[in-house]
Amino acid sequence: MSEALLEVDRLSVDFVTEAGIVRAVDDVSFSIRPGRTLGIVGESGCGKSVTSLALMGLLPRPAGSIASGAVRLGGVELTSLNERALRRMRGAELSMIFQEPMTALNPVYTIGAQMSAVLRRHQGLSRRAARARAIEMLERVGIPVPARRIDEYPHELSGGMRQRAMIAMALSCRPKLLIADEPTTALDVTTQAQVLAQIAELQQELGTAVILVTHDLGVVAETCDDALVMYCGQVVEQAPTSVLFETPRHRYTEGLIAAIPKVRPQRLARLPVIPGTVPDLAELPPGCRFAPRCGFADETCIRRQPALETRCESRFACFHPAGRQAPQA
Amino acid sequence: MEFLKYTLRKLAGGVPLILGVTLVSFVLMVYFGPDKTYELLSKNPTAEEIAQVRVQLGYDQPFWVRYGTYLKELATLDFGYSDSTGERVGAILQRTIPVSLLLLAPGFVLGNLLGVVLGLVAAWHRGGWIDKAIMGFAVVGMSISFLVVIIAFQVLFGVVLGWFPVRGWNVHDLGSYLHYVSVPTLASVFVALGYNTRFFRAVLVEEMQRDHVRTARAFGAGAVEILWKNVLMNAMIPIVTRVMFSIPLVVVSGSLLIESYFGIPGVGKVTFDAITSGDQPILKAVVGLTAVMFVLILIVNDILYRAFDPRVALK
Amino acid sequence: MSLPTADLNPGADARLQPASSPASHSLWGRAASRFAADRAAMIGLAIVMAFFVVALGVWLDWWGGNWAEITGGQWQPPSAEHWFGTTILGQDIFARAIFSTRTAFEIGLVVAIASTLLGAVFGALSGYFAQTPVDAVILWLKGVLDSIPFYLFVAAIAFALDGNPWAMHIAMIATFWTTTARLVRGEVMKLKNLEFVEAARAMGLHSLVIIFRHIVPNTFHILMVQATIVFVAAIKSEVILSFLGLGVSDSVSWGLMIAESTTEVIAGHYMNFIVASSFLFTLVMGFNLFSDGLQDALDPKRSGR
Repeated sequence: MSEALLEVDRLSVDFVTEAGIVRAVDDVSFSIRPGRTLGIVGESGCGKSVTSLALMGLLPRPAGSIASGAVRLGGVELTSLNERALRRMRGAELSMIFQEPMTALNPVYTIGAQMSAVLRRHQGLSRRAARARAIEMLERVGIPVPARRIDEYPHELSGGMRQRAMIAMALSCRPKLLIADEPTTALDVTTQAQVLAQIAELQQELGTAVILVTHDLGVVAETCDDALVMYCGQVVEQAPTSVLFETPRHRYTEGLIAAIPKVRPQRLARLPVIPGTVPDLAELPPGCRFAPRCGFADETCIRRQPALETRCESRFACFHPAGRQAPQA
Repeated sequence: MEFLKYTLRKLAGGVPLILGVTLVSFVLMVYFGPDKTYELLSKNPTAEEIAQVRVQLGYDQPFWVRYGTYLKELATLDFGYSDSTGERVGAILQRTIPVSLLLLAPGFVLGNLLGVVLGLVAAWHRGGWIDKAIMGFAVVGMSISFLVVIIAFQVLFGVVLGWFPVRGWNVHDLGSYLHYVSVPTLASVFVALGYNTRFFRAVLVEEMQRDHVRTARAFGAGAVEILWKNVLMNAMIPIVTRVMFSIPLVVVSGSLLIESYFGIPGVGKVTFDAITSGDQPILKAVVGLTAVMFVLILIVNDILYRAFDPRVALK
Repeated sequence: MSLPTADLNPGADARLQPASSPASHSLWGRAASRFAADRAAMIGLAIVMAFFVVALGVWLDWWGGNWAEITGGQWQPPSAEHWFGTTILGQDIFARAIFSTRTAFEIGLVVAIASTLLGAVFGALSGYFAQTPVDAVILWLKGVLDSIPFYLFVAAIAFALDGNPWAMHIAMIATFWTTTARLVRGEVMKLKNLEFVEAARAMGLHSLVIIFRHIVPNTFHILMVQATIVFVAAIKSEVILSFLGLGVSDSVSWGLMIAESTTEVIAGHYMNFIVASSFLFTLVMGFNLFSDGLQDALDPKRSGR
């Protein structure tokens, strides 16, 4: 097994809000090997986006801050770097693309200008060389007539093309890690498939590791090697994708998978949904955070937080997990 | 070609505005204005003499004819002669407009430039002590009346310290220009800075919260680059709009006050005297020209929109 | 595999129920508590209230009534009898300053209320009927009023109304409503696309009813803030108008006091100037702080705070 490219070790992120200090990410640990794809999945507010921002050092200041924990990329401790060192890495060693292609690009500069700026900053290319590389990357992501498109403004491109341009920009300096935060949520289904395929293709070519943050289990199933499920800021389960879908352990994961509309042997009267709503991060239950909504919760679950345990290829935190093997005492 | 058509179309669109302004002012000032008949007559006028003077002044004409004459005057820039001095209005304007421009330009430019800079600093350090300090000064600046500032500066710089002249405009070279323009410039900057800084800061803060700023950071851009390319460039439209639309306010109102108080022979002082003496030809000219200036500003503003934001098409 | 439908265990710990939030959940309730926590805003409110009490006292004839009387010698320095000294005519500066508070509030309140009302009406009509002739006419009117230089306009109105003391108020109202109208128009254009308007229309409500009973109340936060801004603008404009001879004529105001003082200060008599300026500055500053606090309380996202 090759060495891990990225190691996240007990990361916690706090936010200052009107209601006091809220822990948006609580003791999260995971790692990813080079060239692999990890999907981080969960509902809105579960902390997945905050985690990815924390990795890049892009938490909104002064409200957000890393409370504790470590993030190591290729052995380098990111949390201890100053802003200038981090800036050198952003776009070069690790890149991030965001959800809204409409607003993610600067509207008053051309695509080419923005891409060239990144290339010149990190690779010291001349203006002409940067432009040539940019055109090459645009072609790689499947944008037709790239030599013309490069001089267009973001609003002149469609949503799908904009996102592809962003991918091109993100991978132009051959980063080791690409973080994609809901890259296809704002796109229609066909474009979504195209963009995801594009990411996968480039990943193969360049050997980039990818963290895909999404709320869509279907996307995870299609594209990710491993999956990490988050709830209320905590990791509740992690497993290779196929294992996760075949034998989910945490009851939340089980509920999520059961709620996916699919063809079943018997018709159901109603789609099984997880009852209740996600608790307010400022008013969390003392024990397992999923307990209020869990049909298998008991006294232990309400009182104590389950610790992460490993079984077969899954890591999960549940006192009464699902699965064919009987739960340990 | 397209550009020319665009400009002409905009000018045409401004015509109702000019008509509106001139109509309103004509109604108020001329129609309801002082009756000048008796000023031109001797002690015991006869009925014929009165009638004669009324014809001379055009009072016997119906309303729309008189209004039409006014518009013609405006179009040909021929406003006749001043009631009080007898000088040609056109000549008066030619003499005084340059003075006003020279007087107000430095203050206007500095006031906006400093406002943008301070707004940037405050926005970048949002919530910090620098921000609070700048905003504190801004509120204080906003709360002091322009008149108070003018009087205070005149006393302070002219009487107490004696550094600068406080009346008149004896300008013949760059040195004397700087000498005479200093106190008025200081006064206008002092007063405008508060309002400007607050506005620019608000605009800049809003731009700083846009997604593309986060993207730029995600790709390693530094503070200066982000402030310039992402924040300032995108904020240019509201900034430019605000600067352009403050011109009528600053130029007209500012010149009125500063010139009448400091005794500087510019358009403002002439207008002020015209108001107090009821000198209609001058008032008609000033109001008409202000309306035209406003329309021109609207057009220039639209053009600048296009220059700064590629999303805006020439429609 | 199906999921059981029970959510909470019957014997669940009471702490699992969401705790009731201490702060109120209504818009105004939350705004009020935010305002109360803002120190600068509370100071502003205190100042405004203090001045209001002074003005009230003048209205009720408790003090300041002797502003026109000649009670002392010319240009007397501050003393026990005349706290701020006397003017060139021997009038008590303190009394004049106190009386001027009432003048200021009178002008401020009349102009603020009238222009806010006008702005709300025109803005709402303009916004609801956007892109129609109604909107075009109102926008044209706004453009015309915006381009006439303010002081010339006041002068023109003064001419036309032949020295009527309300000329100044009318001129101010006629120019200040445009900003409010523009803001209301923008907000109404956003609101009219919301579902509650669609629902009202589906119920057959007349347009005017929809506009004024349902949409305009949702612009109250804009109207409140604008009213305070106009109040300040009115007071400050009066100062300059009085200097130009177009302002208050039959009573006294801070503007008049400052205008009177322009000749005195050269000769070294500062009291008139200092007193009037300080009173004016304090009230305006207080109102500005109050206005800022109001804006922040009603829309905390403003200015990224």
